Amino acid sequence: MWKASRRNFFAHKGRLSLSLIAVVLSVAFVTGTLMFTSTITTTFDRLFATTASDVAVSAKADKDALPGAPEQTVSTSVLDTVKALPGVQAVYGDITTERLAVVGADNKAISNSSGGPTIGANWYVTPHPAVNLTSGRPPAGPTDVVVDADTAAKKHLALGSPLRIVTGTGAGTFQVTVSGIATFRTTNPGETLFYFDTNTAQTKLLGKTGAFTGVDLDAKPGTSDDVLKAEVSAKLGAGYDVKTRAEQEADGRNSVGFIGFMKYVMLGFAGISLMVGAFLIINTFQMLVAQRTRELGLLRALGASRRQINRSVRFEALMLGVIGATVGIAAGAGLAYGLIAIMNGVGMNLQASDMSVTASSVIAGYAVGVLVTLLAAWVPARRAARVTPMAALREAGTPGDRRASWLRNGIGLAIAGGGAAALIGGAVNGATATGGLLLGLGVLVTLIGAILLGPLLAGVVIRVLGVWMPAAYGSVGTMAQRNALRNPRRTGATAAALMIGLSLVSGMAVVGSSLVTSATSEMDKSVGADYIITTNGGLEITPEVLAKAQATPGLAHVTENKFVNAAVSDASGGGKAGGTIVISASSPTLTQDFDAATTAGSLSDVFTKEGIAIPAAEAKTRNATVGSVLNVTFHGGTPLKLPVLAIMSDKTVFNHGDGYVSLDTLGKSLPASAQPASELLFAKADKGRQDQAYAALKADLAPFPQVTVKSQTDYKQLIHDQVGGVLNMVYGLLGLAIVVAILGVVNTLALSVVERTREIGLIRAIGMGRRKTRRMIRLESVVIALFGAALGVGLGLAWGVAAQQVLSGIGISTLAIPVGTIVAVFLGAAVVGLLAALAPAFRASRMNVLRAIAADG
Amino acid sequence: MTTAAQAAVTHRTVGTAARAQAVSKRYGQGETAVTALDQVDVDIERGRFTAIMGPSGSGKSTLMHCLAGLDAVSSGKIWIYGRDGVASELTAMKDKELTNLRRDRIGFIFQSFNLLPTLNAAENITLPMDIAGRKPNKAWLDRVIGTVGLADRLKHRPSELSGGQQQRVAVARALAGQPEIIFGDEPTGNLDSRSGAEVLGFLRRSVDELGQTFVMVTHDPSAAAYADRVLFLADGRIVDDMAAPTADKVLDRMRQFDSHGHAVHDQNQRGDAAGQR
Repeated sequence: MWKASRRNFFAHKGRLSLSLIAVVLSVAFVTGTLMFTSTITTTFDRLFATTASDVAVSAKADKDALPGAPEQTVSTSVLDTVKALPGVQAVYGDITTERLAVVGADNKAISNSSGGPTIGANWYVTPHPAVNLTSGRPPAGPTDVVVDADTAAKKHLALGSPLRIVTGTGAGTFQVTVSGIATFRTTNPGETLFYFDTNTAQTKLLGKTGAFTGVDLDAKPGTSDDVLKAEVSAKLGAGYDVKTRAEQEADGRNSVGFIGFMKYVMLGFAGISLMVGAFLIINTFQMLVAQRTRELGLLRALGASRRQINRSVRFEALMLGVIGATVGIAAGAGLAYGLIAIMNGVGMNLQASDMSVTASSVIAGYAVGVLVTLLAAWVPARRAARVTPMAALREAGTPGDRRASWLRNGIGLAIAGGGAAALIGGAVNGATATGGLLLGLGVLVTLIGAILLGPLLAGVVIRVLGVWMPAAYGSVGTMAQRNALRNPRRTGATAAALMIGLSLVSGMAVVGSSLVTSATSEMDKSVGADYIITTNGGLEITPEVLAKAQATPGLAHVTENKFVNAAVSDASGGGKAGGTIVISASSPTLTQDFDAATTAGSLSDVFTKEGIAIPAAEAKTRNATVGSVLNVTFHGGTPLKLPVLAIMSDKTVFNHGDGYVSLDTLGKSLPASAQPASELLFAKADKGRQDQAYAALKADLAPFPQVTVKSQTDYKQLIHDQVGGVLNMVYGLLGLAIVVAILGVVNTLALSVVERTREIGLIRAIGMGRRKTRRMIRLESVVIALFGAALGVGLGLAWGVAAQQVLSGIGISTLAIPVGTIVAVFLGAAVVGLLAALAPAFRASRMNVLRAIAADG
Repeated sequence: MTTAAQAAVTHRTVGTAARAQAVSKRYGQGETAVTALDQVDVDIERGRFTAIMGPSGSGKSTLMHCLAGLDAVSSGKIWIYGRDGVASELTAMKDKELTNLRRDRIGFIFQSFNLLPTLNAAENITLPMDIAGRKPNKAWLDRVIGTVGLADRLKHRPSELSGGQQQRVAVARALAGQPEIIFGDEPTGNLDSRSGAEVLGFLRRSVDELGQTFVMVTHDPSAAAYADRVLFLADGRIVDDMAAPTADKVLDRMRQFDSHGHAVHDQNQRGDAAGQR
């Protein structure tokens, strides 16, 4: 039996090749992702291993601080205190801050385009530095800076290049020149790094003398990190974070958490393409078994047991899985290599030699490839085992019109109905959380339902979709349509594979365009500001920027917005436990710039009286109404008793879930020096001077590339572009699943052409030309692809509409159907159909007529 | 039946529908080359029923395939003559021209698998015309369908028809386009004797009543007895040409081939074969 299986496998290698490609692609994506992320982890581990000190001391991490809050520091006295400890070999005061912007001569920021941080640090010498000075000299005065070699190369900086450093401290902006260039000893993880002398870093970057952001300690030989940590902790007491080298490394790994996130996203998409690949494998084996019915019957007649037949098919699947996984793992290594190259291209600095082909990624590749193939071959293997010995004697024919069974249709209808009910339930559910849960359930269940109903729907939809074909192409069209219909199960599975990717595409497109439309209409309704000034991360809106904006001619006002966490609890002390909400503390002109919707009270009261506006969810939690008094403690400030003046609607895209106070009220709890900086400015122009003011504002803020000025129109475009960017990324990742689905269409057509060899011979004999033969195959392919697109778009629209309904609770209140995307999906599907039919149609048209007619079965 | 067939021959106008001249067909090369047809010259008469017989491997199917434009010859020429007498040389045609020729001027009936399973009987019958984009001649179509007795089966798919009915659909398809010549490759080979007789009867009537030209390859003497003329092939040559055949005469002639299918040359057959036409 083994011999028969092996022979069969190699005899059908052509027919298995597309399944093999599907396995290879999916496995490559899985293992490539794993290898790539583990390479990044290894690189970072190495970086932390070489640069970390034995023990590091820093101010206790402030989890509740929002961006813009002042940098936390430790005083120089800590340095002196720990220096005296017996286990300490050496002590270094360290400054590392991201609160700076570095500007080149052309007013462009010197920063990493891929979003890596810009870091300002103090220069000091240790036995284990992260960088070595490779040219120039260390920074020695307030005008010296050392830049890392990667940034210098990318931004064309050389010794003597002038740079402007923008800070949020009293130092404001100052000029420096590059005095030296330093090269990472291991690898630059994508940072843009500037070293200043310690005094400059303290006075200008931190804005205070005698302070560091942390203290690094080297242990004396023979003193373990843990012992030293214990010594330091005991001496300093609470209020400090003390971490050993191992703990710093663990932190470092967590700080690159986006890699973990990326890994799961990519594995998720790999999973989708694997699922699509499973359809292809099922279809292939079904067809191979159908084609071999006589042969299997002969084996049974010769005494092979059902189990042996079943096993022989599964053995073929096993070989497919093993070979596919092996090739896939190799391809995955190539993919990881390519990803590393791309990451290097966008500013990370990974070494391909670091690439780790870990045992776990290889095992995962085999597990995924082999298991999925075996599972997919399960049903065809059972069907093969059911072949009776009589089949050997029967006239072999093309497999009959297997009608989709009633049982399957019944179950499919029940499941699809249940899924639809869940979707509708989610859509009408008021609570976003419950609605989201129902939505997720509905999406999953309707997908399964649609897959089960594929054959039934094939009959109905293809009749409708293909109605133009006989009219347009005569008998060629009729035959193409009927061929697509003759095996609904196969057509259903082929189209379902395409459906999966396209349904996600259209569902995401509906949500994305609804988000853009809702945000745009909310801007039209509630945003009165002419200009919106935002930061690009890193450095906040500095006093200089604020002053420049306020001084810009033609502006009626500039509104500051500071975001701060606030702990709220019932003033009476009873009721619910305290919660934390984000508070936007703004200038009184906010009401002219941003008319946030309330469910009770008026937001303008917040700026005329002392009080707070709280989000509806918080009001609901603690049963607060307008007039309730709450204990409010702004982060780092003293507690205040504030009356609730307004309750903010949750149905908003902007500042969703935020509360509001005036800057005056914030000042009562938190002195101005301890307040965070503004993260967002609104500005309004004098009437009739909008254009001049916009130009003036842009010009005035040009030296501060860390902030962006947008008019309402530009801001809308920005939202549009950002959502579009995310969607494009998702589409790109779904591309793999769609490519596998296209392989499925090719596969089905190719096997159908082989099955119908005699028919094709016959129609060629009675006078159908090669062109028409090709057209017949192409039309069949197009109608299958369009069917897949119709299923996908239908399902995706249902998901998208339900999702929008669920998300209307958080402000996505307008449903927008992206007609362009949907038209593109259908056109794309038609093109996919044409492309998929290329090789099978060519093959069909080139068949030798006589041999085709004489072909077996 | 034989007498009826013989009587019918006499009052038909005889012209040439197809001609083969020095046609040879070889498969393979060098040592392993096999000669399927060896310098065959033959004329197929218009409006007559010609049977081609011979033992397995004699080249009878190859001759038919070449005459029908399904297979290419190694050397020699083949012409098909239109009703207007204009000759078309098949051996000079490209695939596209041959395809159109098969579609418009030639009909086919194969031993089995004549019909597309996705199309019903009526659609199968009109398929060649549909492919060509021509409207079938309604009156003629009705007459053909009536002749083969399928009027109540037109909406059935091939899987819903018996073997005999399927072959009758195939005959109707071959007749529907009013081709100049119809070729049959053992058209009754898969049928029981009663269904076979039925189909052959239709073919005979189409020749007698509709003036159709029909060429059939068979190994069954009683099928050959429906023909006006029987060509005997052996070793790729025409070895005999029998007019007004009967089942017995054909069987007698077939017995003269030895057990390996080669012609037996101890009688005067050789001279007969060479001398004919």
